[in-house]
Amino acid sequence: MSEQNNKNIGRREFFTRTAKAAISIGAAGVAARLFYDAKGPQRGGKAEKLVTLPDFSVPQEAGKTISVVKGSDRIKSVNKAIELLGGIKRFVKAGETVVIKPNVAFATPAMLGATTNPELVAEVVRLCYKEAGAKEVFVIDNPINDPASCFMLSGIEKAATAAGAKVIMPTPSLFANTTVKDATLIKDWPVLFGPLEKADKLIGIAPVKHHHRSGASMTMKNWYGLLGGRRNTFHQDINGIIAELAVMVKPTLVILDGTMVMMTNGPTGGSISDLKRADTMIASCDMVAADSCGCELLGKKVSDLPYLTKAQDYGIGTTDWQSLNPATATLS
Amino acid sequence: MNQNNPQFNVGSTGRTNSRLESVVSISIIAILLAIAATLFIRQADTDISRFGITPANLQPSQKPVPEAETSPFIQVPAGFDKLSEPEVYNAENLYEKINGKAPLYTEAGFSKLYCQRFVNKSDANLWMEVFLYDMGNLRNAFSVYSMQRRPDAKTLSAFVQMYGYGTSNGLYFVYGRYYIEMIGSAESDQLVMAMLETAANIQKNPMVAGDLKIEELDLFQSENLVPDSAKLYLKNAFGFEGLSDVFTAQYKIGRQPITVFFSKCPNVQDAEAMAESYRKFLTENDATVKQTTSEFLKNKIFDFYGATEMVFTTGQFVVGVHEAENQDAAEKAAMILAVKLSNSNKIKQ
Amino acid sequence: MKIVQARRISQIFFFSLFVWLIIVSTVGEKFWQIRAWPVNLFLHLDPLVAIGTILTTHTLYYPLLWALITIVLTIILGRFFCSWVCPFGSLHHFTGYLANRNKKTPHKIQLNKYRSTQSVKYFILAFLLGTAAFPSIGNSLQTGLLDPIPLISRSFSTVLLPVADKGSYLTSVAQRFYEGAWLIFAIFAAAVLLNLVIPRFYCRFVCPLGALFGVIGRFAIWRIGKNKNECINCKLCERACEGGCEPAGQIRTSECVLCFNCRQDCKDDLIKYQTSKSLAGEITNPDISRRGFVLSLAGGVLAVPAARLSNKLGANWYYKVIRPPGALEEKEFLKRCIKCGQCMRICPTNVIQPAGIEGGIENLWTPVLNNRIGSSGCQLNCVACGQVCPTSAIRPITLDEKRGLGEFAHLGPIKLGTAFVDQNRCLPWAMNKPCIVCEENCPVSPKAIYTQEHYNTVRDGILTIKAVTENTIEFLGKSNSTNLATGDYYCLMQDGQHINIAANTQTSIVLADGENLSKMPSAGDKIAIQVRLQRPVVDIEKCIGCGICEHECPVSGKRAIRVSAEGESRSSDRRILPGG
Repeated sequence: MSEQNNKNIGRREFFTRTAKAAISIGAAGVAARLFYDAKGPQRGGKAEKLVTLPDFSVPQEAGKTISVVKGSDRIKSVNKAIELLGGIKRFVKAGETVVIKPNVAFATPAMLGATTNPELVAEVVRLCYKEAGAKEVFVIDNPINDPASCFMLSGIEKAATAAGAKVIMPTPSLFANTTVKDATLIKDWPVLFGPLEKADKLIGIAPVKHHHRSGASMTMKNWYGLLGGRRNTFHQDINGIIAELAVMVKPTLVILDGTMVMMTNGPTGGSISDLKRADTMIASCDMVAADSCGCELLGKKVSDLPYLTKAQDYGIGTTDWQSLNPATATLS
Repeated sequence: MNQNNPQFNVGSTGRTNSRLESVVSISIIAILLAIAATLFIRQADTDISRFGITPANLQPSQKPVPEAETSPFIQVPAGFDKLSEPEVYNAENLYEKINGKAPLYTEAGFSKLYCQRFVNKSDANLWMEVFLYDMGNLRNAFSVYSMQRRPDAKTLSAFVQMYGYGTSNGLYFVYGRYYIEMIGSAESDQLVMAMLETAANIQKNPMVAGDLKIEELDLFQSENLVPDSAKLYLKNAFGFEGLSDVFTAQYKIGRQPITVFFSKCPNVQDAEAMAESYRKFLTENDATVKQTTSEFLKNKIFDFYGATEMVFTTGQFVVGVHEAENQDAAEKAAMILAVKLSNSNKIKQ
Repeated sequence: MKIVQARRISQIFFFSLFVWLIIVSTVGEKFWQIRAWPVNLFLHLDPLVAIGTILTTHTLYYPLLWALITIVLTIILGRFFCSWVCPFGSLHHFTGYLANRNKKTPHKIQLNKYRSTQSVKYFILAFLLGTAAFPSIGNSLQTGLLDPIPLISRSFSTVLLPVADKGSYLTSVAQRFYEGAWLIFAIFAAAVLLNLVIPRFYCRFVCPLGALFGVIGRFAIWRIGKNKNECINCKLCERACEGGCEPAGQIRTSECVLCFNCRQDCKDDLIKYQTSKSLAGEITNPDISRRGFVLSLAGGVLAVPAARLSNKLGANWYYKVIRPPGALEEKEFLKRCIKCGQCMRICPTNVIQPAGIEGGIENLWTPVLNNRIGSSGCQLNCVACGQVCPTSAIRPITLDEKRGLGEFAHLGPIKLGTAFVDQNRCLPWAMNKPCIVCEENCPVSPKAIYTQEHYNTVRDGILTIKAVTENTIEFLGKSNSTNLATGDYYCLMQDGQHINIAANTQTSIVLADGENLSKMPSAGDKIAIQVRLQRPVVDIEKCIGCGICEHECPVSGKRAIRVSAEGESRSSDRRILPGG
């Protein structure tokens, strides 16, 4: 009897084991089927696909493309400049997520003018929250020097956070590769895409600066701060890269701060004597127009900055900013 | 209990399932054989183009190509042993042997190179390498021969009635469609003797037979002719692609020798077209017409970067002078050659 | 026929097949060359390669589907692979047999007893799978270090065959060289010699593939076991037990390698290969604790990000990591390379070498190019390496893709890197000696090396003319120059003209015939003897980094033109030129 029992136990055990074996074989087969790759890896086939930056621009309104305000108080001039274009509510709707990209390239004090003025950044943040009712405002940049020091020493982090914005550091996981259409330079190149992916609006804020390599650094050059990788190779074709940056980024609004202009020794400056008071604030939906207007503050002409005409040829905007009927004002 | 048994062949008594065991074992062997057979069949595909590189251009130059056609021409000379196996190169891998010089040959109709080294039996420091370039025809062989003539060339009695010369450590000559070079490791009479013997053997070989003489070279004949100065440019003579099959030679008139040239075209019209295209090339490259008293040579003489250049036709020949220093001497040389050429025309008619 | 005889025949068959497939891995059409021999057969059958690459890349590269056969057979039969197929295993088996054949039986039984340290191989497996598992933390394929098939493949390719070739040229026309082969040899020799300590040492204690089989084979339908209760415990069955699995007692099925020696040796015919469990009991699970398993796995998971702290995959990348043409971008490459050495074996110019650890520890034994070794750099018309890579770490590219022809014309040729002229060592740049060997050998058309002409006065080359006769210029004093007749030397006249020199003595130079002097120099004029140099310059846009220039450079120590990996096509972050 026990022998029969043993046999039964043995048989049951055998069937259990066979079943388990069969399931294992099945699982192996399924796994093989699931993962099967008939072609193998392809050239340049990285796991991540190429991304495209969203288009953040708002519809054009005649006479409300570019505004030029004269005044010595940045806060007042920026408010006026945006008001002349229809007010912040034209650009930012309630509940939206806004990304602000100032120039935080260097770890220098704000007064040297190499970075965007922190109070200006804070004011724009405030406008987005308080007047437009934005849900969330982020401040981003990929600085040239160490990011933490740049955000801190330029004063931008403190000012922005005090106004309620969140500063996002350029960590590697936030970068994704992009290729700009018909580009010769920005091909399969990392950009700071993470914060932009879910954003609704993008505002660029740049100071007017002389630049040793490109002649000037204003709103279009400001987007260099979105590039990752070893981006200094692009300095071999500086005008080409600035023009391609303008193709890559379609912002909602750019603000060009010409209150204290860096006339020489840009882009880092270093001395107060490099600066000259010009008391001008420009807000624009057309980056080419903004820079063409701003270059006059540096004593330059459009023809001195080849990237302006290049960008115009790419259809980004117009160098003839006067033809856009700029809205102007002078504040006491 | 059974621990002292030998290791193997522990056959137990009354083994059960021995039949099954044999069947399974043999089945397994059968499977192995099937695997072996499949592999054997599968490997028979000899198309290796997916690897790109082919065996012919794989071999490093020191090693002979596996199926080297041993050259029948290069016999071991007396008192020598072979130092290396015969090597064969074709147009694709010639550069492995002679590197940068390969285009000189491959662009002149080269098809095969046979070469081998021989060493003196009693003195290992005395060795030579023999190169036989199969250039396809006598003209091609003469072209590569004449373009590489060494400055210290000596005429040798062995090469009378042939195109050839010797240097202190080498022998260079043309035979039929072959251009032959023999290069010795040292300046040695022993080596030269061996080379001459090898050369003689080559000439005796019936497989090598072919034309030995280029008729056109006789057209240079003149008391002013610098001996052995004739060269043949198959194409791109003087850097101009419109000039091909150009014979050049030097006439000594005045202090500096004058380089004269001619090319035989199929007919008069072609000759005039070639001459005209060369003249056009010169003027496009800033040559200016020079004045001359000769009616015949009017508008055919140019100043080209300070030197005198001349090109005209007589019958089906394009004739000219290249980079002459002295215009008078150049004109004289040109006329000598032109007369010779037109005479040959008449004879043919 | 006895089953053990069939097993021995199988071992001989697969071992010989393995060695044959390594031998034929050279490009050619002959029977003993690659033709269509499936040289990756063993690597494709290896489930650790398949599972490893599934973990790292989340794909199963199609040739690795062969591993499914091995897996299915193991699930059904148990660890048959270890003693019937694995060439490394057969080598250990044979070595162990040789070492122990004259020992007394009790000694042999004692050598084959189960040791708890046999569980180390499971920890090794867990560790290696851990390194492969998590892409977000950082993963790479390191199974190749200890997986026996890549290991023996690498050892034969880079050590055993090249040593056998020395002098005999049995398998290769020229002596093959492999950097760092001493380490590969040391590990191989150690593994083989350890069989003198305990038979099948590697199989029992180290082999992660064996561990994998031990796990997969848990539900095997047939297994070794006793079918009667009358065992007298003589332990003869353990005399030649290969797996150290204790068939005399509770057999450890995960250690049993199905050598069938126990069945052969049992005088009482108790041991069978049967579908029912052994009557003496069996232990199917490997003897590892959950804690040990988790610790090993975690160790593996953390090892990769720890190893990457040296930033060798970022800005601190090692510039001499020049990968073969068709290699994937570095992170993807490290997910697939199993360090099998097939590419190193097949490379016709012997330029592919096993790397050391300068590129990071993950770089060990991956293929890199060393242009100084071998018969030339990477041959222009060769794509052999990609054709034999078992995991497509090097893609099987076509010649058109490598050269940038046909449908790939818009992408241009594949660049391995860029050549840089070292102007401090290059003869025409630094030493006043003419040389353009690099330019001559550059294989692309138009060439990626061009020259800039430059005249330099030779040492003590400024001389004053004493007398001029026809073409001969005698000068005051003596010149140290020995041979100026090479065609590279020129006499710089006072009016700036360069006249070629045909011959010279210590006190005179002879100008070449046919040179036209615009004005005859006179006594008292100064002349300079100059060498005409053609200085090589690399055209970055055209250079494909093939290394032929570096190979041919006559400055044979630290070459005057060297390739480094900047500008390689496979990396977007190592470009030199914008838009790269």
